[in-house]
Amino acid sequence: MKSYQSVLILKADLDDAQVDQVIEKITEFLSKNNGSLLKVDKWGKKRLGYRIKKSRFGYYLNIYHTCESLKVSALEADYKLYDLILKFLVIKLSAKELEQEMKSDEIDNGVEEAKEKKPVTKSESDNGVEEVKEKN
Amino acid sequence: MARSSGNKISKSTRKKTQFTQKICRFCADKVTRIIFYDIKSLKPLISERGKIVSSRISGNCAMHQRRLTTAIKRARNIALLPFAEAS
Repeated sequence: MKSYQSVLILKADLDDAQVDQVIEKITEFLSKNNGSLLKVDKWGKKRLGYRIKKSRFGYYLNIYHTCESLKVSALEADYKLYDLILKFLVIKLSAKELEQEMKSDEIDNGVEEAKEKKPVTKSESDNGVEEVKEKN
Repeated sequence: MARSSGNKISKSTRKKTQFTQKICRFCADKVTRIIFYDIKSLKPLISERGKIVSSRISGNCAMHQRRLTTAIKRARNIALLPFAEAS
């Protein structure tokens, strides 16, 4: 079993619940194919280096997992079909690299954009969810 | 090769060409692996247009320059860095 790192760019205007949904979907796929989730980093909302599908911002997810080497192409096909994912990158990690990644803490790189998030008051949270659904 | 043989010629016959030996910044920090999502370490090795700075200018050693290019290309793929920036 080889270990992989996949970085996903999700749509920027997702709730935490929707992000968790994406993670759940991936864990489901991995458990079906004898893989397992090792670590999930949420990098949060960031400005993209260039526009992807007309959006300037994206929500970054960094996932470390194991997967059967033959099923990686299937995993990538799954990513492609999932419409919340704008773009993805899957990289094979050697055992040494994986060790380093699991040890290292998150590297903070330009998360200034995350501060732009609009503060949603709890009383209006129900309305907020509806608005997001309409946008999608 | 040329540089090392140049030193053997007696100093009086040759004009001294001054050049400061650039040191690979990754060798200095003893970095073995360049991480593609660590943008802070990649940013100074990219031009204003978003091009990769050559090792001739940056002074990186060949091994680290090779690893740097793959790291930058991965960062570009996942939109952490731009492919090209308007001047």
